[in-house]
Amino acid sequence: MSPSVLICDDSNMARKQVLRSLPEQWKSSVQTATNGAEALTILRDNSIEVLFLDLTMPGIDGIGVLQGIQKLNLNCSVFVISADVQPEMQSKVKALGAKEFLRKPVKPDDLINHLQQHGLL
Amino acid sequence: MSEFHLTEDQQDCLQELINIAMGQASDQLARYLDTFVYLKVPNIESVDAKELMHTLSQQKNTMAVVSQGFFGYEGIRGEALLVYQEEDSGRIADLLGYEPDELSQDEQLIDISSILTTTFLNVFARQIDNQMSYNAPKLLPSAKDNLSEHLQQMPFSWDLALKVNINYQVTDYSFNCNMILLIPETAITNIKDVLDRILAEF
Repeated sequence: MSPSVLICDDSNMARKQVLRSLPEQWKSSVQTATNGAEALTILRDNSIEVLFLDLTMPGIDGIGVLQGIQKLNLNCSVFVISADVQPEMQSKVKALGAKEFLRKPVKPDDLINHLQQHGLL
Repeated sequence: MSEFHLTEDQQDCLQELINIAMGQASDQLARYLDTFVYLKVPNIESVDAKELMHTLSQQKNTMAVVSQGFFGYEGIRGEALLVYQEEDSGRIADLLGYEPDELSQDEQLIDISSILTTTFLNVFARQIDNQMSYNAPKLLPSAKDNLSEHLQQMPFSWDLALKVNINYQVTDYSFNCNMILLIPETAITNIKDVLDRILAEF
């Protein structure tokens, strides 16, 4: 069983880092977005089950995407992966419905652990 | 980034390393100021020595420059300049708050500059398998002649300046500052090699 996955980050390298960290069997069903607006379009038109989301992006940022998800009432597990490690930001994204906050650069073990904790693996 | 001659992948990789370093530097600044710092994607560009001298000498509104030397392994060394603009001086003063019995505004400016510079460079260095040590930060006198004199008196020859444009919004205030890293050619070559090594892992 592999869920439909979306990775949203403006950096190509960061997207690859997330992709590389995913369980092998998930890798075939991954879509990517390079900004918040693109992510929201994909989220609206597809049933995405797991979203890996960067925060600091030009245009609609990660916070905007989280607000969009709430507004659209989408049922999607969001893992924020960001360099903005301020405690206030971590609680803010959780208040907006994110399952977890992960620090960049993301470590494969860390990501897998969190997916297990949330019953996704 | 003409002098750097980075490929699109190298540029993306460098940008991401800088984003991560910037994120942690901002977290330290937020802790120091006991507030939340709103982060934007920092702009990076490279300028050659002549161009930088010209730009800095044209800037009439520079309020303050804090300069700090750094040293790592494998020829990585340089000088980090934090350049604050005149139009932001009031905001920075408000932000720092003036508490006569404690630190002067100059001392606080040196403090926040050093927090930004050392956190940024420590995190950057860790990602490229390096480690930095630092000289004491210095606040340069504001006259622009002093700045060009300072730049000419660097204890090493620097060939390129990597300019990271940082915009901080701190609750009601916002201020801009430029972090300019002056680095010699050996450091550039080293950084490029490391970027390639990181990219090869994907």
